[in-house]
Amino acid sequence: MPSLSSRLTLPVFFLAVLAIFCLIAPNFASAGNFENLMAGYAFIGILAIGQSFPILLRGIDLSVGAILALVGMCIFDLSLMFGVPGWAILPLALLVGTLAGVVNGLMVTVLRLSPFIATLASLAAYRGLVYAISGRQLVPELSTKPITDRWITGFETYFDLTRVLGLKGVVKLPWVPLSFLILLGTLLVFHVLLAHTRFGRDLYAIGGNPEAARLAGIKVGRLTVAAYAISGLCAAIAAILLVARLTTSTEGLGEGIELTAIAAAVIGGFSLTGGTGRLLGSVIGTFLLGIVLIGLTQMGISPFVQQILTGLILLVAVGNDRLQTLRADRQRARALGEVPA
Amino acid sequence: MTGLMTRAAPHALTLCVIAFVMILAVLEPAFLSGSNLIGILRAVSLVGIMALGMTFVIMTGGIDLSVGPVSAIAGLVAYFALVAGHGLVAALLAGAGLGLLIGIANGLLVASLGLPAIIVTLGTLSIVRGSALLLGGPDLHGIRDQAAYSFIGSGAIYGIPVPVVIFLVLAAMAWLLQSRTPFGTLVAAVGDNERAAWLSGLNVTAIKAATYGLCGLLAAIAGMIQSSQVHTASATYGKFGTELDVIAAVVLGGTQLSGGAGSVARTLLGVLFLGLLNNGMNILNLSIDIQLIAKGAIIALALSLAARRTG
Repeated sequence: MPSLSSRLTLPVFFLAVLAIFCLIAPNFASAGNFENLMAGYAFIGILAIGQSFPILLRGIDLSVGAILALVGMCIFDLSLMFGVPGWAILPLALLVGTLAGVVNGLMVTVLRLSPFIATLASLAAYRGLVYAISGRQLVPELSTKPITDRWITGFETYFDLTRVLGLKGVVKLPWVPLSFLILLGTLLVFHVLLAHTRFGRDLYAIGGNPEAARLAGIKVGRLTVAAYAISGLCAAIAAILLVARLTTSTEGLGEGIELTAIAAAVIGGFSLTGGTGRLLGSVIGTFLLGIVLIGLTQMGISPFVQQILTGLILLVAVGNDRLQTLRADRQRARALGEVPA
Repeated sequence: MTGLMTRAAPHALTLCVIAFVMILAVLEPAFLSGSNLIGILRAVSLVGIMALGMTFVIMTGGIDLSVGPVSAIAGLVAYFALVAGHGLVAALLAGAGLGLLIGIANGLLVASLGLPAIIVTLGTLSIVRGSALLLGGPDLHGIRDQAAYSFIGSGAIYGIPVPVVIFLVLAAMAWLLQSRTPFGTLVAAVGDNERAAWLSGLNVTAIKAATYGLCGLLAAIAGMIQSSQVHTASATYGKFGTELDVIAAVVLGGTQLSGGAGSVARTLLGVLFLGLLNNGMNILNLSIDIQLIAKGAIIALALSLAARRTG
């Protein structure tokens, strides 16, 4: 278990960055800006939560962007081409994403592919499938028609926090998007699952040492498939939120988003060597990236510089993670008397 | 039957390539025409050149995701050097040198700090792409009146396109380096058991930095050939997905992502396999969506067969 101080590093760093941008970036500390931040990064946070599961098992899921697009296109087709009502579309969408994740998991366990290669192959295949089923190409006149089903567009709702709390006239709080609340709900459910159930403990065990976990009687194969299924499920939730926001879907939806999700999870403390990390970290990691990018935009800094800084943040985060590991190793060695103190 | 399977397994990819050629030749006689075969080589030359360097990196147990942006920035730097009137040699050296430097930086971050290669090169991917965009903006820069530079991408020697010639020469050099020099053995030793290599006195950091440097250099060369081929340089070239094609070619050739085993010759087979796959699907007039699905499925299938063999 990581020490309290190493657990607090990320939240403290997050708050420091937040404070700095509130001070130096014009209009950063405004209600509207926090609305944008919450609405624009909630779905990425959900992807990062999903991505955390394969990474916890020393794997990776490169296909989340393609799954996102696949689910998005399914919603588009079902709603606009077939006129399926929204309440029926939602469970189907979640099912499609979960199945796509299960296929990834089976490739890793049954076909024994390395997760990197398996999800690389499925990235190509799922993206191809998106083009194949694209209602935009099958029925071209639909491509300008927005999705209007209330069950789907309803996800793009904002709640007036100021009025709910009865603070009208006292302070102006940002309106909270429903997508952000769904992010919190997803976080809560999967956090409980990971931190307080046998299932979660087994996942940590597999990530720490798959062979030892297998010998201890843990069903490694089944749990690995479950981890990739959760990643797919989260991609489906993210797809619903994104389609609701855009009121449409495109073939290129979510291209390259897997990199942001992976970066968020790694910044959040999920080590690629498996076995460590907490989901709250992934969500904080997501919003850390979000704050930096939105803050820099408001300071009028070129998006190209932002890209450079995103890369640097990633390097610093992984460097810091490495430093912590080394320090922990040294402490352990000292405790065992292997090196003089 | 199993005996035959076991004996045939190491040659599975070779057999696949041969079977592929025969099927395509029957389905479409034009496939075997000289111009189509040259066309295949020309189409794979850029990915092939990058795959040569990637082979060494993957042999050490690492990976380089930054090859796409590196190729873009090299083409861009060569363009700016040409426009500034520094001449062809200086332009090529500038582009290649930059690629080499970025590669070495990757290698040092991975080797001396012990950071995971996936994340480091994901970070440099972002940094290099941002720098390229900062340098050249998102627009295309037309390369005009540079006959010598254009020859690299569009010229031909005895009817063979120059990119193919460069690819074959570099492939021969990489093959020699990997199979006939101590360097190849050292790289495999590091990938096989890094700690053992370090304990036996090898300079693991230098070896790793060299492989990433080589990978960056070759990516830069590919990028300059591309910019010369299409007569434009742009920061957006080598778009996301390039590195995936390159890595797919290397692992299809049997180089293990966990490091150790690997060979440039087999990478060339992997490159050829992907080239045939793309060409065959184009000849058969399959739409892009079917092509993507088929490619993903075939790569997954081929690799799982390989995993059964070794596992």
